[in-house]
Amino acid sequence: MAGVRLEGIYKKYPGSDKASVTDVNLDIQDKEFLVLVGPSGCGKSTTLRMIAGLEEISEGKLFIGDRLVNDVAPKDRDIAMVFQSYALYPHMNVYQNMAFGLKLRKFKKADIDKRVREAAKILDIEHLLDRKPKALSGGQRQRVALGRAIVREPQVFLMDEPLSNLDAKLRGQMRAEISKLTKRLETTTIYVTHDQIEAMTMGDRIVVMKDGFIQQTDSPEQLYNNPKNIFVAGFIGAPSMNFISGTLSEQSGAVRFKAPGVDVAVPEGKAATLRSKGYIGKEVIMGVRPEDIHEEPVFLEASPNSIVNANVEVAENLGHEMYLYLNGIGSDTVIARVDGRSAIRDGASVKLALDMNKVHLFDKETELNIFEN
Amino acid sequence: MSTYEWVKPLERIMNRPLAVLTVKPSEWKAAAEGAEACSEPYTDGGLKAGAWIEHEGKLWMIAEPGQKGLTVLEMDARDLEAKDKDLISWSLNHASIGLKAGDQGASESEKLAFKLGEWLQKQLEAEEPVYSLPDHLTVGSRLYHDMIPFLLVAEQSSVKQDVYPELEKLLRSFLSDDILLIPLKSREWLIWGPMSLLKDEDSDMHELAEEETLEDSLASIAIGLHEMLASEWLGECHLAVTHPVSPAKGMVEAAITMRETIHLGRKFHVGTNIHLPWMLQLERLLNAIPESNRSKYLEQSLKRADLFVEAEMLSTLDTFFSLDCNVSETAKKLYIHRNTLLYRLDKLKQETGLDVRQFRDAVLVKIILLLYKVTKRN
Repeated sequence: MAGVRLEGIYKKYPGSDKASVTDVNLDIQDKEFLVLVGPSGCGKSTTLRMIAGLEEISEGKLFIGDRLVNDVAPKDRDIAMVFQSYALYPHMNVYQNMAFGLKLRKFKKADIDKRVREAAKILDIEHLLDRKPKALSGGQRQRVALGRAIVREPQVFLMDEPLSNLDAKLRGQMRAEISKLTKRLETTTIYVTHDQIEAMTMGDRIVVMKDGFIQQTDSPEQLYNNPKNIFVAGFIGAPSMNFISGTLSEQSGAVRFKAPGVDVAVPEGKAATLRSKGYIGKEVIMGVRPEDIHEEPVFLEASPNSIVNANVEVAENLGHEMYLYLNGIGSDTVIARVDGRSAIRDGASVKLALDMNKVHLFDKETELNIFEN
Repeated sequence: MSTYEWVKPLERIMNRPLAVLTVKPSEWKAAAEGAEACSEPYTDGGLKAGAWIEHEGKLWMIAEPGQKGLTVLEMDARDLEAKDKDLISWSLNHASIGLKAGDQGASESEKLAFKLGEWLQKQLEAEEPVYSLPDHLTVGSRLYHDMIPFLLVAEQSSVKQDVYPELEKLLRSFLSDDILLIPLKSREWLIWGPMSLLKDEDSDMHELAEEETLEDSLASIAIGLHEMLASEWLGECHLAVTHPVSPAKGMVEAAITMRETIHLGRKFHVGTNIHLPWMLQLERLLNAIPESNRSKYLEQSLKRADLFVEAEMLSTLDTFFSLDCNVSETAKKLYIHRNTLLYRLDKLKQETGLDVRQFRDAVLVKIILLLYKVTKRN
């Protein structure tokens, strides 16, 4: 096994003056599960394809272990790839599909047999070895594609949205299986997805990308709780974080955030930072996660300085939780996530409290998190 | 360097047109007997590269001797100095010795493949190509059987000229021993796969015919082949496939179709690597419209809204069309709520007057998108 290091990686396509991937620096540890996430066109797949050797690197250095591999062909990089299309070889049966890479590398027949059968056992596809891909379901095909990667026992697994062709139920199941599998095999894995649930549940670390730039590289918890900028804050979490544009002011020794329908006190710890950074009197953007808006009487009682009044446009009850689409907090609709047993209904006027210890404040110009930068 | 590749530079140096002919030894003999001048007197079996004769104002020089036919370079003999003739003669003779030395390592099939490649390349560049293979290139009956044609174009600059044996070996282990690999331009190969790839011993052929069309099967083989070449060979490449045909009769046509297919695929669908001619019918039609007309139409259409050019709208519409305008499937694929998708489509309708849920408008928007993608890059 080995780590992977990207140093100042760029990708520029001929005829385009803008780079698709800009100055990517990553140090992926041995055995780490790293997820690249971002909206379509953010450069995550291009980055993975450069690691795979499918795309040439325009600038920068790529190391797998201690070996510089910029000019090494994909087959010689000691990696195994699984893609969204999981294109199996249609004229070969499952066994042959899994054995082909080993056969090319001149493994002995007995070794090939052993590896294929072991991988088939892990993936629970032993009974499918004689079947052709056409006779398999989507989930089974995906397992075979994984099997083809596993038998190689590579230094690194590269996976590009491997679950996106599966239905929701199967995706959930395979998500857990891939996590278990990579832990068991202790293989460094780089996984591309635009599904933040996959990113949050599978990654040891997550890299959030946008427009070819890395926005933040952190653990799932850090990304969720301490996003570095508005993009990361809005991208991670569903429903997304609410953003309210307002102004900071100093009043009776306390810092207050004011916006249409909002006048709340900023906790002293945060207020000190705002003062020292000169934000008093300036416009900022407040970010509040839906679960940090409370309707429980106990919370409201304990938070007299962060009460807001709102009208419930729609109350969506999902059973275990309820989403409230609210008017009156700032100028846009705000979503709150409350207990599914709440009695709030469509059209109701409600009193809610913001958990000001958990809100984020972003610089309006730079869009950076004031407390994280 | 193959014949066709060095003829053009030589034409420039000589400042006169050159033609490459295949001449029977008997024709050479007859011409030599009536020649105005020659490099050496004609002797049976003594023909070598670089030998030349001048007859009827033309210079013939042997580029490659052969038992069945001579590859001869023909040019206008007027104003040609003796030292020019000597220099070309000497170069051809030495190139021929080099080729022979290189040939010693090449297998019979490789030699034939290179000859086929040279012939095919000539036809592809000719204004009026010959569509059937000449007899001396159709060895045995193999090329008269139907085979599946693929055209492979490698992207990586690291692909070297001498990659043929490695690629042939890889294709033999992946597809079958019964393949034919023909090199064309640098980093471009025509691959012929056996029809057995389409047969499925596991299932009833009748059942297969109902379940999967020939095009589906060809596409799935192309996808598998592309995956193998990308991961087990040199990285990204473009691959086209077309309907099976016998190489002897359909080689030129198949190559023309697949070159056009890859050209259209790369032009209209950047990021796609497997190109299927039957999926690019509309693109072929649009490509035939003069550039100025296309730009004018696009300009008029885009005046109606900038919405088309927003990345989010482009990807939404691309997905929507690829899923046969199915709202639920599109929302699922894009990981967005159905209502969000409907909102986006309504917004498009509001701003452009085009409702892509209506067939008529969907066609127009599809055309606008295709034209936009091409124009944007120009």
